[in-house]
Amino acid sequence: MADLRITGLHKHFGNVHAVRGVDLQIADGEFTVLVGQSGCGKSTLLRAIAGLEDIDAGTIAIGGNVVNDDPPHRRDIAMVFQNYALYPYMTVFENIAFGLRARGTPGAEVQTKVQQTARLLAIDHLLARHPRQLSGGQLQRVAIGRAIVRDARLYLFDEPLSNLDAQLRDEMRGEIKRLHQELNKTMVYVTHDQIEAMTMADRIVLMRDGRVEQQGAPLDLYERPATRYVAGFLGSPPMNFIEATLSSRDGGVHLSDGSVLELPAARLQRVGDGHGDRAVVLGVRPEHISRAAVNGLRPGVVAHLAQINLVQPTGARTYATFGLGGTAVVAELQAHDVSQPGERVELAIDMNRAVLIDPSTERVIS
Amino acid sequence: MSAFHVRRRRVAVVWRTLAAIALTVFFLFPIYWLFMISFKTAEEIFAFPPRWWPSRLQFDNYAVLFKDGDATTVWNSLVIASASTVLAMVLGTLCAYSLARFRTGGEHLSNWIISQRMVPPIAVVFPIFLIYVLFGWVDTYLGLILLYTAFNLPYVIWMMRGYILDIPISLEEAARVDGCTRWQVLWKVVFPMARAGLFATAILTFVFAWNEFLFALVLTRTEVTTYTVQVTHYFGGQSGFWAKISAMSVLGTLPIFVVVAFMQRYLVRGISLGAVKG
Amino acid sequence: MGRQIGRLSELLEVRVGSAGSLVAPRARPRERGFRLALVAPSIGVLLLFGVFPLVYLIVVSVQNITMTDVDQSFQGLLNYRLLAGDPRFWGALLHTAIFTAVALPLELVLGLAMAELFIKHVPGRTVFVALLVLPVVVSPIVAGTTWSLMFDNRFGPINQVLGWLAGGPVAILWTIRPDLVYGAILVAEVWQWTPFMFLLLLAALSGVDKSQLEAAAIDGAGYWRTFRTIVLPAIWPVMVVAILIRALDLVRLFDVVWALTKGGPGTMTETLSIFTYVKGFQQFETSYTAAMALLVIVLLSVAVFAALKRVELAR
Repeated sequence: MADLRITGLHKHFGNVHAVRGVDLQIADGEFTVLVGQSGCGKSTLLRAIAGLEDIDAGTIAIGGNVVNDDPPHRRDIAMVFQNYALYPYMTVFENIAFGLRARGTPGAEVQTKVQQTARLLAIDHLLARHPRQLSGGQLQRVAIGRAIVRDARLYLFDEPLSNLDAQLRDEMRGEIKRLHQELNKTMVYVTHDQIEAMTMADRIVLMRDGRVEQQGAPLDLYERPATRYVAGFLGSPPMNFIEATLSSRDGGVHLSDGSVLELPAARLQRVGDGHGDRAVVLGVRPEHISRAAVNGLRPGVVAHLAQINLVQPTGARTYATFGLGGTAVVAELQAHDVSQPGERVELAIDMNRAVLIDPSTERVIS
Repeated sequence: MSAFHVRRRRVAVVWRTLAAIALTVFFLFPIYWLFMISFKTAEEIFAFPPRWWPSRLQFDNYAVLFKDGDATTVWNSLVIASASTVLAMVLGTLCAYSLARFRTGGEHLSNWIISQRMVPPIAVVFPIFLIYVLFGWVDTYLGLILLYTAFNLPYVIWMMRGYILDIPISLEEAARVDGCTRWQVLWKVVFPMARAGLFATAILTFVFAWNEFLFALVLTRTEVTTYTVQVTHYFGGQSGFWAKISAMSVLGTLPIFVVVAFMQRYLVRGISLGAVKG
Repeated sequence: MGRQIGRLSELLEVRVGSAGSLVAPRARPRERGFRLALVAPSIGVLLLFGVFPLVYLIVVSVQNITMTDVDQSFQGLLNYRLLAGDPRFWGALLHTAIFTAVALPLELVLGLAMAELFIKHVPGRTVFVALLVLPVVVSPIVAGTTWSLMFDNRFGPINQVLGWLAGGPVAILWTIRPDLVYGAILVAEVWQWTPFMFLLLLAALSGVDKSQLEAAAIDGAGYWRTFRTIVLPAIWPVMVVAILIRALDLVRLFDVVWALTKGGPGTMTETLSIFTYVKGFQQFETSYTAAMALLVIVLLSVAVFAALKRVELAR
């Protein structure tokens, strides 16, 4: 049993308060991704779990045991580093076997386990080589091999894919996910890439400035963000944000260029309460803005005549930028859409899926 | 590139090679002369016009050294230099690791260690002599070994600190997560990774201890005389002693030359990187 | 005992400011023992050989222990005043200064010239460099001995070549004539240590940014201009270290002078170190030499400190 419980974790580096009171509970076998921008404290948190950093306050408990005072080699964890951290003067076999040998595992057992792991990762033909003879992807597999050969109860990944090129990254993402399904171990994975977070996680922990901004299943965070930060972090291209005023008179969102977008009645009930006008930030994802002609109009979907400024086809989709409420807004159109810059096009904005944010608290209102 | 330029390049290379050869001859000739004197007979030494090389290599001068016991001083130098080098490397590298990774003692400790290196030996030789008399360490192996260790420590600490800082810390972290205690990390990861630096520093430490004169002069008598002191025993006497002096010098210098021949790569790296890391 | 270790280790571990991940965190109790064990033996050895002698020097230098009598009463600055009035002391200071001021620039310039030669392609460079290192690894005593042989007035090669050129035997007493003895010592010293400078500067030169040199070449800059504006600033840090190391060694000059002249003729080539040795170990003027030794240490420290400050400011 290897669940992970963190309560009230604080960590300072001199004057910098890197982790500010983090509470986290990760169930046994869960794949949790800590995601956030550089400097948000995710790596520090991971290293604290590993025991590579001492903490200033709080507790870390693995499988029910508090491990605050235990050095790394006593916590029965395995870690994959961003720069692989392989020993250049050892062969691949010796690199993978290192941890087993350090714990005094008998030779024959070392042989079988290393062979097994190498085969699992398709690197068994590389066992006699040295790290300098391997490519980036192969090095990463060896690093993963070294971690899983020990059958630890908790696996930690510190941005393992950042040094790989895009294609390799896609491939390795799938590999790691497959590994998790096979091994069924608790894994904590740190990345700054929100795509990795979305595709790999059972649960996402989005961090910001040393605190947990929001945590939950990927689709939960995507569809029901709690704050503007979360809304803007997940999703590519990111959500569009437009400053506006919500009027309780006509239940519409008024934009600075005069356009008015009506809110569906049900939402208006929850948000507006006859308090007159209130400033809001309107958040709409590009995929919720399309050609009116294509999807038609339904309740809650508002039509808007827009002038296209920029068109960016990607092959699978085409992104069109237009001006709305004084902001450049991106819409996701179909791949074969032939809109040209300068054209005026009728767009449909799905107000059912839009979010309203209170500008002062940056929290999502509905 | 035109033929003219190619030819100019080649001429330049030839000039440089000639200059290099001339320099090497200039710098090595005195050493050559020293070696040659040690192989000459008395008449050959005093011959005029000069004999630039002996008619045959005769080892009488060396035989005398071994018979008279001068040669044991080379053995003394070997024991003392080796032991103090090992001791300095072990103590110094461990201390350097602590300084590099944990900044133990902060600036104060680092600065103090550096300042130790700047103390002129002549200044402290007398007090140390007195301590040694007290402990009965004069003219003992232990005495000089400890002293050379102490005087080489700052250098070793400073150099190894630089080399250790070059090792990526993630390698050590990976080892700790994999199951190594701190001591195991030192032994299995840090030392192998710092191997080149260890050799370079060790060679220079050894050479320094081997060639040291002043402390050996003051702190040895008859039991553990080092070869540098022994060479000066025959100074100022009749010129008949030149043969002995040169043979003694060669005997003491040959071992160093052998070491350098094998490890010259590390020696060169040690001297040049010393400045970069200083 | 454990508590003492704890407090000592807290003393040793200074928390530095916002240096990010370079800051050493406060260690768990078990780790503290580890860190202490790493530095303790070294510190112990250094304390014994570094601190005690200094304390002794300070104490003794204000006493009056001479060859004839052991007077441990406090004498104040007596010895220092004696020093100031001793012409032999000033002589030693002067001799040391001459050696330093002449040898250092010579070694620097020659070493730089050699480095410039070898920085461009020379076939068999590694062999040359390996051979040129040899003077450095020879003991300074042996270096002095070697040049004694070279300068020997009857059968030394120098005189023999001169005699050959002059047509008859030449018996110049290089190590005895007052006008030549400095030259002889300087030759031996420069011979031994130029290769050291050469090695250091060769390494420094190889670190000069090649693209800057190429840009200068395209711009039409001549050799000296390129050297002054690009090469010199780039190798300056290494040069400073080299100069400091050699300067310290030259101030302590003992072995090579001892081997060639023993400080003679008379006291003409007596360096500070030789003078101290003679006074301390042949005349047993303990307090006097302690004062001198202390003075030299203080002067050296001040000089090095000042030099380092200037370098820091320049950077």
